[in-house]
Order: sequence, then C-alpha cells, then structure tokens
Amino acid sequence: MRENLRRPGFLPLYAFTLVLWLIVMSPFAVVVLGAFLQTTFLGLSTEQWARGGDGESLFSVKWFGYVWGLYRGTLLFSVKLALLSVLLCLLIGVPGGMVLARRQFPGRDLLESIVLLPLSLPGIALSIGILQAFAIVRGEWWLILAGHLLYTLPFMVRMVMDALRSFDVAALETAARSLGAGYWQRLRWVVLPNLRHAMVAASLLVFCVSWGEFNISFLLNTPLNQTFPAALYATYTTNSFQVSSAATVIFLGVVVPALMAIQWLGGGRGVKLEQGV
Amino acid sequence: MNGSLAPMEAAPLATGAGPRRRAWELLLALPLAVVFAAFLLYPILTILLTSLKPGSGVLHSGGGGSSSHTIFSNYLELFRDPIYCEAMLHSLVLSASVALGATLLCLGPAWLFARYEFPGKRLMRAGFALPMSLSGILVGFLAVIMLGRVGFIPQMSQGLTGKAWLSGAAYQLSGLVIAYLYFEIPRGVVTLESALSKFDPRLDAAARSLGASRWQRFLWIVLPLIAPALVATFAVTFSVSLGSFGVALVLSKRFSVLPLELFHQVVAITNFPLASAMAVFLIALALALNFALGRWMRRHFSLRHA
Repeated sequence: MRENLRRPGFLPLYAFTLVLWLIVMSPFAVVVLGAFLQTTFLGLSTEQWARGGDGESLFSVKWFGYVWGLYRGTLLFSVKLALLSVLLCLLIGVPGGMVLARRQFPGRDLLESIVLLPLSLPGIALSIGILQAFAIVRGEWWLILAGHLLYTLPFMVRMVMDALRSFDVAALETAARSLGAGYWQRLRWVVLPNLRHAMVAASLLVFCVSWGEFNISFLLNTPLNQTFPAALYATYTTNSFQVSSAATVIFLGVVVPALMAIQWLGGGRGVKLEQGV
Repeated sequence: MNGSLAPMEAAPLATGAGPRRRAWELLLALPLAVVFAAFLLYPILTILLTSLKPGSGVLHSGGGGSSSHTIFSNYLELFRDPIYCEAMLHSLVLSASVALGATLLCLGPAWLFARYEFPGKRLMRAGFALPMSLSGILVGFLAVIMLGRVGFIPQMSQGLTGKAWLSGAAYQLSGLVIAYLYFEIPRGVVTLESALSKFDPRLDAAARSLGASRWQRFLWIVLPLIAPALVATFAVTFSVSLGSFGVALVLSKRFSVLPLELFHQVVAITNFPLASAMAVFLIALALALNFALGRWMRRHFSLRHA
C-alpha cells in the first residue's frame, strides 16, 4: 500500500473506485436494515424512528417469519429446481464438455457455439419461444427446469472445457495408457480428478443461476409451481417495504455465501456468475 | 438437430497421436445436443414461424387474418406503429447511453484492479461482482428503496437539507439509467479488467523515459492498445441492456422498452405473432452484435500478432 501511494495515479483511482464501490454496496445495507426494522421510515428523524416501533423493540425478525409462512412453498420449489439443475448439469454437461474439449468431429464448433449461445440471448425472447413451443405442457414443473438448464449448462460446459484445456490432458492420458490403464481407468484416475475443482465451482455457479433465474420462471410458472424470484416480484408489487426487504435478504442469504465460496475457489479469476437480467 | 448429430456417429478417427479414439465416446455429448435442440433451437424456430402468421389477440378483429396480410406484416407493424417504434428507440438510446456510461465509469476500477495490489482488493472485487449475479427485478427493487418516492436518499436528504432530493427518480428515466448502470458497471469491470491486465507496463515506462507526459502516454500509448477492450465492453453492456427485462418490469411506468412491450403483447394482448416478431428482432440484434464483435476481435487480434 505504501509503495502504491508513491506511484502516480493510484490515489485518485483508489478514491474513485472506493466511492463507486460504496454506491454499489449501499442498497444492500439499506435492504438488510429494512428487513429487521419495525419502522416504515428510513430517514434521519428520531421522532419517526421512536414512533415506528409501536412500543415494541425497533428491531425484530418478525418479517422473516411472515415471509417464511407466505413463501415456504416457493422457497422449497426453487431449492428443488436448483439442486436438480446441478445434478442434471453434472450428468449432461460434464460428459458433453469432455467430448467438446477432447474430441474433433464434424459439427463440434457448431455444437459448442449453440451451447454457449443462451448466455448472449435476451432471456425474455427465449422464454416466449419456450412458452409457445411447449404450450401443451405449460405449467409443468419440469418445463421450468428445462428452461433453467438452458442458462446453467453453458456455465458447466464452459468451465469443464476450460479446465481440460488448462493442462495437457492428452499427454497425461498417453502416459497412463503406456502404463497399461484402460479407458475407464484413465477417466476415473486421470481425467476426473483434474476436473473436480471446476466441477465444484461450476455446481455452485449453476445453483446460483437457477436460484435467481427470473425470465423463464416468471413466464412459465403457475400458482402451484412458483419459483422464489417470481414470488419476489409479486412481493415487490403488492407487499410492504419491510416484507419485500426480508424476502430479498433471504434471497441474498443464499446467493452471497455461494458467491463467496466461488470467489474463494476460483481466486476471483476466470470464474464469474452472470445472471440474465 | 439432425444436422449436428448425424455426422457425429460417423465421426472419423481424431487427428493427432494420443490414446486411441473411440467413436462411441461422442455419444456422451448426445444428451447435451438433445437438450439444446429441444429447448433452444426448436423454440427459436417456433417463434420464427409464429412471427410470420397473421396477428391475433384481443385488439384484432375476431376473424384473424385480414385480406391485407403478408408474411412480413408483423414486422411491418413493428416498424410502423409509433408505439413500438418509440419502445425500440427507447431501448436503443437507453442501452447506448448506459453502455457508454458503464464503459467510461468502469475504466477506473478495472485499471486499479489490473495494475495495483492493495489490501482489501479481493473484498472490493467481490463486491463489484455481486450486482451482476442478481436478477433484474432485484436491481429494480434496490432502485425503488434507494430512489423511490419514500426511498432512502430522498428521506435522508429531507432530514439533512429539508428538501427531498431525487424523490421518485426510480420511476423516471434517470432511475432506469442508474439501475441499468448498477449492473452494467460490474460487468464492464470484469470484461475490461482481464483485457487491461494483459497491457505491458514496459511500453508505458519506455514512453516515460522518452519524456512523454502522462496525458501524452495515455492518449498515444495506452488508449490505442486498450481500444479493442473498450469496444468489447461497450458491445457487451449494450447487448445485455437491450435484452434486459426485469429492471424495466419493476421500474418503468410510462417509459416503455422493447422487452417490456413484448411482455405486454403476450400477457395483456395475447398477440403471439407480434410478440414473436419482437422476440426474433431482439434475438437477431443480439446475434448480429455477438457475431460482429467476435469477427472484429479476431481480426484485431490476428493483426496485432502478425
């Protein structure tokens, strides 16, 4: 730090970034505050703050209880979808990524670009497509899961491919084969151990993306199969500031620890979570 | 689907020495191909075909196809109707200004992260990564609690100065721009940082030893080298803003953007053909941007290494 201070340009850059960072973080502080407050007022007036409590203590967790009672079903449904997304991504994405990274075949480049395509397409446009293409089974819970796969598989496949390309897997396999290892032995003892790190990080990423996915969930959900983000939208439009804040804090309570784990695993480089907005 | 699958089964032995290749191994990618054929390509084909059908929905006369219908009439309506033209114009102007703002603002943090080591850097970067991982409706809600009619900032400024600054700004154009910037700046930081970390500081040092001032070095050494990264950042943030739906859904009251218009076509008017035309337009725009950027980056990259 002291060394940096002597370098020209560090201090203004640091100050600018810090201000920007504080602006980015401030809404989270307000949401967390709002979720625990009994008052409806966020400003400076002490008079308002004192009145807001209605004689009870100013801070409470009652909004969380309210949200849990109201949206327990959607929370569990979203967790179920996210876990199933992780499972299916591991089952489909890992073998797929392995083939894409290690083999050359006609149509390989096409398949790779199709798999990565959803990341750059507007979610709302794709949702309309799925809605119409599968109008007969609209409202089925697995259709929402299929939509989530569209946005989670690219992450899993890309990370598996990146991991396999970061070391010379062919040389390792040749070495293992010269020692007499068969196909499955090589897969079990050479390829998969090198993929474990990427698979754990990608699974966390997949969980987060599925947990926060809104566009497809919102258009395809029914009252019986409602995801938590869709319920969040309903809360924002109909419920009070405190209830909305508590629901948001519950949402963040799942994303933030997972994000920290991803950062820790990936060292913050190469691994990034992008949510369709 | 068949196009990408049929050749796989008859795949020739792969090139290169290495372990013996098994053709059946390619079948491991089959589930992946099936999922994307069924849930990506088939839906896109469906909206492509639906967009050519006559418009329907509650605003159209019950008979459906009027005599003047041509296969492109939904697209003509999209480009002629002042309401949709306005939404499209809003989308383009909003996305362009947000992309420009985000590219300029993220230059500071990206440069700092790429060039300097300091305590707390990881925490800062993690904080910047957070908004990117939130869905749009959440960002919209954050804008409401900060800049809504009784948001945090208006109430704070009311207490401090007696005047409620920015009250209700969340629901105006300024609020929409701020909310979009909120998730585009982090995206820009990530995109730009990886490009900036490849910049060779010795070039800068060489120019300094030759007596170039800081601004001269920035203008003639740094800027030309990072220009492609800036263009890429602009393109990425522009493309994401263009298709963003959640933020506008929560915030937009009068100011309509194309994704919102699309949603209304489906939910309120049930005019699926017109909605499909809008979806095709959005997808085509995203694809064109993606393709142009990829080509441009490849050409630039190969030129620099030639």
